[in-house]
Amino acid sequence: MKYLTGNSAQDVAALKKLCPAQDVLTFPFAAEGGIAFVALYADAVTDKELLGSLVVRPLLHYTGEADAQEIGKRLAFPECKRERALNALAAELLSGNPVLLAEGVREGLVLGAKKVFVRAVAEPPTDVAIKGPREGFIEDVKVNTALVRKRFKTEELRIEMVEVGRRSKTSVALCYLAGTAKEEVAREVKARLSAIDIDALPDSSYLTHFLAERPRSLLKQVGTTEKPDIFCAKLAEGRVGILADGSPIALTVPYLIIEDFQSSEDYFVPSYRATFTRILRLVALIVAIYLPAFYIAAQLFKLQLLPIKLLLTIAGSIRGIPLSPSLEMLVVLVTLEILNEASIRMPKYVGMALSVVGALVLGETAVSAGFVSTPAIIIIAFSGIGLYAVPNLIEQTSVIRLAMLLVAGSVGTYGIILATAFLLFYLVTAESFSSPIAAPFSPLVRSDLKDAFFKYDLRSLDCRPRAIGSKNKRRLRHE
Amino acid sequence: MNKIKSRQLYLYFLAIAPVGKLVLMPTQLAVYAGNDLLFPAAANIVLQSAVIFFVMLLARRNKSLYALVEARLGSIAGKLVCTLFSLFFLYAALLPLLEQKLMVQSVFYDTLPSTIAFAPFFLLSAYLCAKPLSSLGRAWDVLAPLSIAGFSGIVLLSAGGADFGALKPVFGQGGWGFLRGSAYTMSWFFDSALALSFLGKVEYKAGMAWKSALCYLAGGAAVLLFLALFYGTFAEVSVRQLFAFTKTAKYFSGVAVLGRVDYLFIFALALVMAFYCALPMQASVDCVREAFAPKNRILHNVLAILVNAGLLLGLWLLNFDFLSTSTAIAKTLFWIFPVFTVLLPLILLAFGRDRVQVS
Repeated sequence: MKYLTGNSAQDVAALKKLCPAQDVLTFPFAAEGGIAFVALYADAVTDKELLGSLVVRPLLHYTGEADAQEIGKRLAFPECKRERALNALAAELLSGNPVLLAEGVREGLVLGAKKVFVRAVAEPPTDVAIKGPREGFIEDVKVNTALVRKRFKTEELRIEMVEVGRRSKTSVALCYLAGTAKEEVAREVKARLSAIDIDALPDSSYLTHFLAERPRSLLKQVGTTEKPDIFCAKLAEGRVGILADGSPIALTVPYLIIEDFQSSEDYFVPSYRATFTRILRLVALIVAIYLPAFYIAAQLFKLQLLPIKLLLTIAGSIRGIPLSPSLEMLVVLVTLEILNEASIRMPKYVGMALSVVGALVLGETAVSAGFVSTPAIIIIAFSGIGLYAVPNLIEQTSVIRLAMLLVAGSVGTYGIILATAFLLFYLVTAESFSSPIAAPFSPLVRSDLKDAFFKYDLRSLDCRPRAIGSKNKRRLRHE
Repeated sequence: MNKIKSRQLYLYFLAIAPVGKLVLMPTQLAVYAGNDLLFPAAANIVLQSAVIFFVMLLARRNKSLYALVEARLGSIAGKLVCTLFSLFFLYAALLPLLEQKLMVQSVFYDTLPSTIAFAPFFLLSAYLCAKPLSSLGRAWDVLAPLSIAGFSGIVLLSAGGADFGALKPVFGQGGWGFLRGSAYTMSWFFDSALALSFLGKVEYKAGMAWKSALCYLAGGAAVLLFLALFYGTFAEVSVRQLFAFTKTAKYFSGVAVLGRVDYLFIFALALVMAFYCALPMQASVDCVREAFAPKNRILHNVLAILVNAGLLLGLWLLNFDFLSTSTAIAKTLFWIFPVFTVLLPLILLAFGRDRVQVS
């Protein structure tokens, strides 16, 4: 380990050797008392205005001793620390904090004048609420932890910082409420985060792969949210939250599948309305997954499934279609997925044009040309809309829908039943940090059913979810 | 999740075990006992619930079937008993599998069924067999409401078309009909033997024995209700109505407008049945694993695959011999069932009681 020598020219050279990037600049200046200073900073990531007004200007009139502590006192800079090791100084320099060296002083001053690029706290596009808070997480972990701290004015809120990424050195904040969250879960999350040995961490979604017990599982094992109110509600239930610098998506564990059927709005509207919408989401999801599959199975294997009048209508519309029912459905489904994928990534100004091409040209014309039947388009359109009733599960449900479609086309109705049995068994055996994902339905946790598909009034939700295993069970006290 | 919760066990007896009795058993009972079909079924249900009561008394010992026998008679006897039960479970699985296969082919397919239509079931079954019983317990938590909803739906849709007068005159078939009906449908009642395989894998709670028996009786009552509906709907032609639970609701007046809405309930019950049919195979694998290599996961998985592959092969070989096979199991070799489901569990209970006194 190399240290500062006190010879500022030598020290600057040594630091420049460690940080050879051209955007690392030096600013030499001299104080009235005769001490020569050099400020080193990374050009784009340092707040030069702050450096000038709070560091350079006061030191121009400095007449005191050449001592780091004395110089620091004169600065009265809120984030100022002394450091001797060249490597540590270089790391601070690269992260945006300027380093101040003085001739004859063997310690450098690290100044917290990092320029922070943050967008405004705004409503997240993926999680819009008609009623309720509109704040969303942004890409800066400090702002995000502040949004959490704002909601928990308690010493029980623990925010532990972990650095992930050999090169990116991304700050990851582990948040939980001491005494409410299970300590074992918090410990396990920290251990798993610390064990990650990756060069860079571009987004928090990388972490989900390392936090999951079965990383290749079809099912989600880590909860996600972009809203601080949801994040804090989950912390209050006893979960552990993870915020990563550079990502607006916060993670929570343990994850239960019922979370994705709940929305923050459910707690701001009457319970009967929340119950209705939750059941609607479930029905929409089931219909979205199974409707195309059962349509194919009914056509190929079991025509009695359909009422006779509907059967006759369908028979009329599929007459002359060159593709088999399963292939026809597959083609329409793949087309929808392509449209979906393209509409997300295309520039906004061509969106309108593509909508016209997608909806009119592909849909209308394909039907009138006799390539595909009208029922197939209707079913896939309905299925496509239905999946978005539970947007957080879209990655999983779209794959399941495709699998069901293939099974229905090859094995028929009984194949769908067996695939469902597989899925059900897979779901009930899956766990996230020792909490069963399918809880409170399997294993049955009666008290947690109050906030499942049937949502009870807020005054009845007096206990935290038992499936998570919080030590502090009661959250609402009645007088 | 190492053990089944007591609640899951009750749900099994209440809502999962009865579904296996709704496929071909009602027809068989109609053949042998005519309009008196309720009595032999009730006799078997009461007998089974009594044995389940005694078997579940052993649950407080927190020992598996193998451990119970080994503690009293040594490891060789333990291995022998477990092997015998393992073979019995495979044998007991045969009839439900055959009837499932036939049901799938005739109910779920209008077009000519492929001989491999039922084969994927063994993939599911192998997966279930490779998992511990506690995983199945979790599945029962979800399946029980599904089973109750499916059964209730079928009953509600069927109720309007049933004429319970067809069940009269009561006991018109006499004692011989009752005896034949009871004996020849014993092959559908092996739940007490399955209860033996649950030993050591259930979280014991006080009152578990009588609660289990009561739940089994309640499930049995639902089966009796269905039998009454079945005979009330079809009367003398019941003997020709295979796959009873898929037939009774199709005369519901709404079917003409809505299509076969009863299929929704049939699908729900078929899903539950898939798990029910896999259970004897799971029990068979578990018995061997416990007796010979309790900690060997690889052997467990290999056994699960072998058992399922063997039964798939057996089913394929018996593809066109359902009648002779079912006759052999239900009529000629029916006595095997009381030996394994009544006699042996009671003998085991006697051993168990001894040990309790000693300790």
